[in-house]
Amino acid sequence: MRRALNFRTIAPYALLAPGMLWLAVFYVYPAIQMFLVSLWTGNINDGFHQTWNWAIYPQAIQEYWPWIARSIVYGGLATILAFCLGFPLAYAIAFRGGAYKNLLLFMVIAPFFTSFLLRTISWKIILSDNGLVLGPLKTLGVIPADFQLLATPAAIIAGITYNFLPFMTLPLYVALEKIDRRLIEAAQDLYAGPWRPRGTFVGLLLGGLLGATIGVVMGYGALPLGIPGLVGGGLIGTFLISEALIKIVIPLALPGIFAGSLLTFIPAMGDYINAELLGNPQSLMIGNVIQARYLKVTDYPTASALSFILMAAILIGVILYARMLGTEELT
Amino acid sequence: MSAHTSEPMSALTSNLTRRHFLQGSAMAGFATFLAACGTPGTGGSAAPSAGASDGSAATAGPSASGATGGSGATELRFANWIGYIDIADDGTYPTIKKFEAESGVKVTYLESINANDEFFASNLSAPLTAGKPTDWDLVVMTDWMIGRLIRLGWLEAIDKTNTPNFVANLGPNYVGRSFDPDTKFAAPWQSGMTGLAFDQKVTGALTSLGILYTDQYKGKVTYLSEMRDAVGLTALDLGTDPATITAPQFEAALAAVGTAIKAGIVRQMTGNSYVEMMASGDVVLAMGWSGDVLGLLVPDQTASQDFQWALAQEGGMLWTDNMAIPLGSPNKVAAEKWIDFYYEPVNAATIEAYVNYVCPVVGAKEVMLETNPELANNPLIFPPADWIARLHQFRATTAEEETAWDEAFTKIMGL
Repeated sequence: MRRALNFRTIAPYALLAPGMLWLAVFYVYPAIQMFLVSLWTGNINDGFHQTWNWAIYPQAIQEYWPWIARSIVYGGLATILAFCLGFPLAYAIAFRGGAYKNLLLFMVIAPFFTSFLLRTISWKIILSDNGLVLGPLKTLGVIPADFQLLATPAAIIAGITYNFLPFMTLPLYVALEKIDRRLIEAAQDLYAGPWRPRGTFVGLLLGGLLGATIGVVMGYGALPLGIPGLVGGGLIGTFLISEALIKIVIPLALPGIFAGSLLTFIPAMGDYINAELLGNPQSLMIGNVIQARYLKVTDYPTASALSFILMAAILIGVILYARMLGTEELT
Repeated sequence: MSAHTSEPMSALTSNLTRRHFLQGSAMAGFATFLAACGTPGTGGSAAPSAGASDGSAATAGPSASGATGGSGATELRFANWIGYIDIADDGTYPTIKKFEAESGVKVTYLESINANDEFFASNLSAPLTAGKPTDWDLVVMTDWMIGRLIRLGWLEAIDKTNTPNFVANLGPNYVGRSFDPDTKFAAPWQSGMTGLAFDQKVTGALTSLGILYTDQYKGKVTYLSEMRDAVGLTALDLGTDPATITAPQFEAALAAVGTAIKAGIVRQMTGNSYVEMMASGDVVLAMGWSGDVLGLLVPDQTASQDFQWALAQEGGMLWTDNMAIPLGSPNKVAAEKWIDFYYEPVNAATIEAYVNYVCPVVGAKEVMLETNPELANNPLIFPPADWIARLHQFRATTAEEETAWDEAFTKIMGL
């Protein structure tokens, strides 16, 4: 018997259509175009021809893997830092915000009312060699007179962290806000107390590792930042982390952690404004390379290939990450 | 020698002039994205995608028949850089108005150009590759981009019989330039000089380029991210004339730039953002453009002020932005009328008083001596003969050189 086409059957497709159409026109079509461009050979003077030059992909990876790796490291560190800053922030707003919740959330978003470019430029003023941050420290003799933050990887990672912090904070807030407080109370009733001594060990380990990694990436060596990381992580693990947080809050907040870290990491890895404004010639990212290949060298195929490689790298990373966090069960 | 790389920094300054505009990386990047994607309807669609993907001659450009090289004289679509013409308080352009009244041509003047390479990718290469006219009748591009456009056959020759003022009043040092030896395609709009910019209270007065390559101000020095500026100036330091630079000489100059970057002498490669960095004290010595000092660093500069620009004893670079007519423009005659109008000294002087770069029009100085003697006697606007003798123009490159040299230079810059 023929089933009548009724509203119920059509509705889902009708609802999907505008979004799909949008994606088809503004994502799928350009992506196909860009993919075709990546397989051209030639140059601006003699013209480009479609030659299905697949070899460009291994060539581009071989030549530019250091920039891709650097982007992953900078983007990854910025994501972790954004989490370290964003989680306590989101937690405080969700659990202790009270009547000020909306105001606090507004303050998280407020920087977005300013252009991304201007926000990054203002970092140049704040971090200037004798500016607001470094000037007083130099006067006090805490750091040497020739110390600089601008034009270093430190400034890039700090800039990215700052620029994408709201992308981390908001999903975390949404996830934390939904948690039923009674679950935490129940956990506490069931003897979930401070997470010692495991918290101390985990804190020491993670804090030390993070500090050492950042220290190495920024060129200061493992110890100068590793030791403060170790101490800070240990203290946080000992005094601030409770068993209820580990066993109840974080598992329930996983979808927010997943969404927040992706929303931060993906644009952070492709970002090139921070590297261009706050970095130096030794710290440029893959986004800068793509821009230069496209505009300065008019090497459209390599620029397109690199864009695809970046996309693929992110996609693979996201799939692995999704597997790791097991989001199927969470959503 | 374009000075016009992406320079988001300058957005902070209120004084928006030609190279002080937010030449946003963001915008360039966005244009790149659009161009790369071939998104339809942006006017910036896939630079190379049109026509080239089927293997058809991307080189040939528009055929003579396809380009209707029109004789329209009633409309002019003119793309220029930001703040590169006089603007009245109400946002209108007095000189354009005057031209419209005199010639009867209706002008659409848009400040659409932020960077040579970006404008090329977003506005010129797609239509011209496909053999279609662009959206413009007159564009202003820097020497090297003009060289590329001439090489690609993408410009209309200027009909000299329509431009007697241009023939009569073009400054003598603009005649016989290597990329356009017969001055057939490019009419200079404004020039600028590349030399030493420095913070006098830190460095004292400087006259020699050599200081750029020592570690005396290590980490507080910037070089320009334009290949022809950075390599050209370095070549001058090595005793090479950029106007006749050979491949080995280029390599030597490039290597010197690379050494300075590797040694950490160079803090950043910049467009004009070195200006703000000098203002904040992060940079004390830079390869810089004359126009920045005059227009932005310190207005009404005097010898005692901190920030200085100097044409070094070894010489400096002279770059020019030129008016040119893209192939197939239906309003070529109107464009020529405008070129002729600009080369009337009185009109050039009016614009010059606002723009403050180096003026290519003979006679403008005399007009200006009457109206604004202080500016007329400023060597940064009308360089005296002994300066002109020390100014060098980077020679036209072949297609292969341009690709190879741009490539080598971006590598040196860490890209």
